[in-house]
Amino acid sequence: MVDKKIVKNVKNIIDGLAMHQNPESVSVLEDIGTNSKVDEIREMTAKALVQKNMPESLRVVITNKGKGINDMSTGVAMCTINELLSLEDKAEAIRILEDTVENHSDEEVRDNARSIKALMALS
Amino acid sequence: MADLLSISSIRERIFNPTKHEKTVARTSNPFAQTSFKGNVLTADVFVSENAKEKQANAINFTGKLKASALVGSISDFGNKIKAGIESAVNFAKRIAEYPINFWNKLSETEVTFEPAIKAMSKAGEKFGEALKMDASVVGAKAGEVLKMDVGAKVGEALHTIFDNGISAKQISKMEDISIPRQLLMDNVQAWEASLAS
Repeated sequence: MVDKKIVKNVKNIIDGLAMHQNPESVSVLEDIGTNSKVDEIREMTAKALVQKNMPESLRVVITNKGKGINDMSTGVAMCTINELLSLEDKAEAIRILEDTVENHSDEEVRDNARSIKALMALS
Repeated sequence: MADLLSISSIRERIFNPTKHEKTVARTSNPFAQTSFKGNVLTADVFVSENAKEKQANAINFTGKLKASALVGSISDFGNKIKAGIESAVNFAKRIAEYPINFWNKLSETEVTFEPAIKAMSKAGEKFGEALKMDASVVGAKAGEVLKMDVGAKVGEALHTIFDNGISAKQISKMEDISIPRQLLMDNVQAWEASLAS
């Protein structure tokens, strides 16, 4: 059983990095959060990266296999998709999704991007 | 022998000196008024002519009385100067003797600083021991300090700072991004370690 204080700390650090203006905060979240063995940490990290709504952060959760919308955990993938659909300004996310559908080498990643793009167009 | 005075003329000069005095200009300068060429002053030189006229009715001294008063005051003045000089000389003598007296008193007084001397000798011994330390020992100590895991210490310090919890606001305002990175890494590792155990 994980200590509640640790869970709270991780959540607050990730939320703080989501608000951080420094572009390096994206690499911190990508290096540590998205590579964690813990589903909850990956979920929190993916949400934070989407909330930043920056090209670099959106690219991490859309174009990388095993991260964000392409995560092996359905819970993490669904949470990331839900966060993308909740964005007020979806322009940057749609642009990256289109680019992924057209140019990504992995078919599974392209299919996922296409599905999310369709959902966003409907939302 | 023409210059020699007869007894009668000498007597005349002794008992009627004013008869032979010359007229002296009356100014306020006492020394200009004073003539010691056998003449006696006839005026109170310390009082101006106008003041003298005003006081003419109040006091009426004769020439002899005034002169004698002046001569007396001059001689008295000399005594006062002499007394002042003597007192100054005495004062100087006392000042000169003071250091000698002070030194005598100091030499007669037994002064001991035993506690202070002991403390100083102990401190000296300690300092000597420190100096006697082998340079290699010092080097080894320095090496031990340098071998310390700096990263671990920094991590400990960070966790000490955030003992009461880490807020998202604090993280978002940190200029040095390495601190949030370190904190996130440590907490993620702790979370993963708790699941593995």
